[in-house]
Amino acid sequence: MRNLIDFIQKNLYWLVFLFLEVVSLISLFKYNSYQGSVYFTTANQMVGGAYRLTSDVSSYLKLGKENAYLEQENEQLRSELLALKKKLRKRQGNSTFVNIQDTMLTDYKFVGAQVISSTLHRTNNLLTIDKGSKDGIRPEMGVVCSQGVVGIVYLTSRNYSIVIPLLNTSSQISCRMKNSQFFGTMQWQRGDPDISYVNDIPRHAKVEVGEIVETNGYSDIFPEGIPIGKVKKVKDSSDGMSYSLEVELFTDFKTLRNVSIITNYTKPERKALEEKADSLMQTVDD
Amino acid sequence: MVLLLLLQLIILNHVHVFTYATPVVIAYLTMNFQRGASRVGLLLWGFAIGLLYDVFSNTMGLGMCSATLLAMMQPFLLSLFTPRDAADDMVPSMHSMGAHRYSLYVFFSMLLFHIVFYALDAFTLSNWTLTLIAMGGGGLMAFIIVLFAQIVIPKDD
Repeated sequence: MRNLIDFIQKNLYWLVFLFLEVVSLISLFKYNSYQGSVYFTTANQMVGGAYRLTSDVSSYLKLGKENAYLEQENEQLRSELLALKKKLRKRQGNSTFVNIQDTMLTDYKFVGAQVISSTLHRTNNLLTIDKGSKDGIRPEMGVVCSQGVVGIVYLTSRNYSIVIPLLNTSSQISCRMKNSQFFGTMQWQRGDPDISYVNDIPRHAKVEVGEIVETNGYSDIFPEGIPIGKVKKVKDSSDGMSYSLEVELFTDFKTLRNVSIITNYTKPERKALEEKADSLMQTVDD
Repeated sequence: MVLLLLLQLIILNHVHVFTYATPVVIAYLTMNFQRGASRVGLLLWGFAIGLLYDVFSNTMGLGMCSATLLAMMQPFLLSLFTPRDAADDMVPSMHSMGAHRYSLYVFFSMLLFHIVFYALDAFTLSNWTLTLIAMGGGGLMAFIIVLFAQIVIPKDD
């Protein structure tokens, strides 16, 4: 017994060290969504529950600003609806137009969700939302909010999903200029959470400061025309062969709460068609 | 200590060397313990410094884990670079250890801290070059700042 006490006294600092490191690692996994995501896949109920509790409290504090956005969005949608109804009435006889409208409405289904955890100042920022595979969410679905594009779903569990937002250095979203229609790839470069960059814009493109950057619909994750941000500065790329645009993002990630996930049903069909085309081309080559 | 914390939070947390590397100079506070100091005390101090940094920088766990590890390794690192004839209660400084030995002590301590800090921050082996840049850049920058402070700030003794 005496030997045991002596041993513990002699090596007390090892026990203290292990204890403090365990406390540090628990904090690391609990309060950091990225590191926590590794843990998340195996113990999502527990971590998700904790996130939910903190998010419920903070969401009450931010309701005012959120309501203002929703009101603004409602107003905009209402006016768009009225304009569309007017146009539809005018062209009622034209069946092609009605079909296009139908397709646009059924192609994309939106599922609403709440952001329950997010980071802004890391290299690999991630968002956690409170909808998962149970609600039809799958990886690689697009996520938007009332202001514009938010990101792409990365991982899903039954009740929660992790989204790679625009503020992640590995996120790449293909986009285009609204007026000039030139397209490029948007990639964040760490630092300011309001600024991202569009690279590979050809030098002959006439891009003006203030021009809207929107999705181009090539990837089939986002429908075309969803606003992302506006051009703040036009710069030369590092190799001098093209322009690099500094874009001010519309989405305010600092107060982001309500998001919508786009459930795109045309993807399998389009993918199957593209694969068929590829195999046919190979047959022709042979 | 308060001054160093303010310097870290207000200025250094917004310095991004090579875009990715942010020097965490506050680790310096765990390196000043005298030779032969209580190891448990040193660990608790390191943990507290890390916690303080994490609370104000929103990096819960990163600073705590790295500073505690540095506090655990401090006696070992100090013994590597202590002169043979040094006093048993020597406080590490440029004056007591000599410029060359003290620089090496600070460099390896800062490097160790930043390696652990950025390894936990990245938490992946993909993009490892960026992580290496952050580790090396942050460690080097913190090393330069600490040495500069040692030279510029006059000591009472």
